[in-house]
Amino acid sequence: MMKTIGLLINPISGMGGSVGLKGTDDLYEKALALGAEKVSSKRAEIFLESLGNIKDTLFLVPSGEMGEDPIKNKGLQYEVVYSVNGLTSKIDTLKTIEEFKKRKVEIIIFCGGDGTARDIYEAVATEIPVIGIPAGVKMFSSVFAINPKAAADILKAFLDGSSKYKDSDVLDIDEESYRADKFKMKLYGYLKTPYIPHLIQDAKSLFEGHDEEMAKEGIAVFASEFMSDGSLYIVGAGSTTAKIAEVMGIKKTILGVDLIKDEKLIASDVNEKNILNLIKNEKSVKIIVSPIGAQGFVFGRGNQQISSQILRKIGKDNIIIIATPQKLENTPFLLVDTGDAELDDMLSGKTLVICSYRMAQRKEIRKD
Amino acid sequence: MEKTKIFLDENYMPKRWYNIQADLPKPLPPVYSPRTLKRATLEELSVLFPMEILKQEVSQERWIDIPQEIRDIYAVWRPSPLYRAIRLEKALKTPAKIYFKWEGVSPAGSHKPNTAVPQAYYNMKEGTQTITTETGAGQWGSALSYATSLFDITCRVYMVRVSYEQKPYRRNLIHLWGAEVFPSPSNKTNAGRSILKENPEHPGSLGIAISEAVEDAATHEDTKYSLGSVLNHVCMHQTVIGLESKEQFKMEERYPDIVIGCVGGGSNFAGISFPFLHDKLKGDKKDLRVIAVEPQSCPTLTKGLYAFDYGDSTKLGPIAKMFTLGHDFIPPGIHAGGLRYHGASPIVSALKDQNIIEAQAYYQTEVFEAAMLFAQTEGHVPAPETAHAIKSVVEEAKKCKQTGEEKVILFNASGHGHFDLKSYELYLHGKLTDFEYPTELVKQSLKKLPKITED
Repeated sequence: MMKTIGLLINPISGMGGSVGLKGTDDLYEKALALGAEKVSSKRAEIFLESLGNIKDTLFLVPSGEMGEDPIKNKGLQYEVVYSVNGLTSKIDTLKTIEEFKKRKVEIIIFCGGDGTARDIYEAVATEIPVIGIPAGVKMFSSVFAINPKAAADILKAFLDGSSKYKDSDVLDIDEESYRADKFKMKLYGYLKTPYIPHLIQDAKSLFEGHDEEMAKEGIAVFASEFMSDGSLYIVGAGSTTAKIAEVMGIKKTILGVDLIKDEKLIASDVNEKNILNLIKNEKSVKIIVSPIGAQGFVFGRGNQQISSQILRKIGKDNIIIIATPQKLENTPFLLVDTGDAELDDMLSGKTLVICSYRMAQRKEIRKD
Repeated sequence: MEKTKIFLDENYMPKRWYNIQADLPKPLPPVYSPRTLKRATLEELSVLFPMEILKQEVSQERWIDIPQEIRDIYAVWRPSPLYRAIRLEKALKTPAKIYFKWEGVSPAGSHKPNTAVPQAYYNMKEGTQTITTETGAGQWGSALSYATSLFDITCRVYMVRVSYEQKPYRRNLIHLWGAEVFPSPSNKTNAGRSILKENPEHPGSLGIAISEAVEDAATHEDTKYSLGSVLNHVCMHQTVIGLESKEQFKMEERYPDIVIGCVGGGSNFAGISFPFLHDKLKGDKKDLRVIAVEPQSCPTLTKGLYAFDYGDSTKLGPIAKMFTLGHDFIPPGIHAGGLRYHGASPIVSALKDQNIIEAQAYYQTEVFEAAMLFAQTEGHVPAPETAHAIKSVVEEAKKCKQTGEEKVILFNASGHGHFDLKSYELYLHGKLTDFEYPTELVKQSLKKLPKITED
């Protein structure tokens, strides 16, 4: 029997990442002006290509880059159910979902970030199961598969009846305050998500508490010692890396990427271009980052300013990963998803994660 | 038919300890006082240790008699059996012949009483009324409380608070043998009180417990301090292990090609290996390989610096030349608590520095995997410390499988793991963390060692 699937893509999702905008919700034009590239359609294509030759399945899509463009020429059966006019917006998402509902789709696949997840939640709640293909800048919600290929695996499991359901929380932070270095996280509701264990990210968690603060302090003091080696350090986002700056007496943005050399702040809240410019004439450049939330993403979710081009230039040996034991306890392995498959391969394998003063844990980095 | 157990009659129990200092190619560098940064004098150290122990510490005599009173007590569990690990060999499909000396038969369940008993004895001889010591998870504390109970000496054990609360069984053993045990930091000492004043909930550390035990000994009449590893006399007391093994190998008409032991402070490793190293140093067994095994999280011999350093984090103990990760290094909470020491025995360090012995380091998870294999083939459940030696044995035996060599491998099974089942449970649930020492990043941080100019 033919199964009907709704597919929709938020074409502007993820664009703010590499240009340091921390979300693209209201800043599409600014992102474009900064030279941002569209990422979500590429990710949707990877998803579709990973599906292989699935039979008895009809995809319902909106027109243009919201669905039709990426699915064309993929050998998949599809039908355009809604026409998009001009710049895409939330209205288009809601209207597309209305059409999906009319046609009684069995599942909705969307490609975007937390903003898109919120729009979908508004329209379907738990009525229809949903799978998220990660493409946004902010992806705190646990509706997302860890990567486009995993999303394809989940869909295949859903179609052959081997998947299970779980409630996935829809989280989002206020982009305005996110850009101003404040985390204001809100739980908007739950979506019903099929899953194969280990392929869906847990909601990103922010750890607080006395003990973890002590661990951060230990990491920061150690880092401040070994970072005085004359190298330029590209310091990633997060409260653990921010602690290093605090120990050094420097003010660092919590959510942005900053550059530090010999305990001095060289540049704050830099984007990919700034970094490439500033490292051009440096003898030694190193990266110090902390995995993001409980999902354990080192590169690819958050820290997108440190692009694959930068990572290739600096090399695996000059990447230092730090994380508190509390964070690592909930992170069985670390993940990379730089959008550059060969680089992801290079970054995979066993690695050291500095977890306290002069101590590391041995963790595995997996590509998604 | 090959024997599984090689027993030695009590009459053949060693009558003398072997003091390897007599055979070292170069004499050990001197020990310095933490107070004056000059050579430590015996008088200075006599506040903490009885004179006979201090004489043994610096003795250059090759053989030192074991008093009959001590041999009588040793007889409770010595000579310990030498086992042939036939089932482990089969599981590994190795042509290697694996032997282990089983020290888990002592009352405390490890090699520790081999030195606790003589230390208590010499203290009794010199009129000591009370001995103080520190203990981490309780292995040493229980051995010393057993030994002091035999000579009517009061024993006060400062046990790291977090272990005191979380690992009640060793604490119960200490009580059972009549010693007093306090969670450290305690309000018994100035060191403890000052820490509790700042943080009444302080979890404690081995460094703090050492300070408390040393302060207690130094400030009370007829009270001495005792250490369970690292020092020369402790290593020497443990040589009964290797001396017996040599006799047992004579009965087998074999001699080991490889001798393996785990290293925290170094005493059980010294115990099994020094008597065999005697033959190597004499030139009789030039090809003998001796391997010290340590955790990746505390890789003193493989990644440390050979330098003068304090023996304890509070800088109260003497300064000795040894492999060290820095006295301010606090190893992470791995399950082989006995291997969590920033330094190593000065003798073991010197042997490593002169390439007379080798060192290897392994991760916690792979160590437990080897321990499981051992328990499932040989039956005995090893302590997590011992499991480090087993991991090395497995690796060496696998090499023999590749080359077809029938090497004879001996390791010291230093203790049983009956009080460590919680750690096994975590391993079985995939919850063990592999810690690793970030060597490169730390190299620059080893700047805080005491400045000693060798004279």
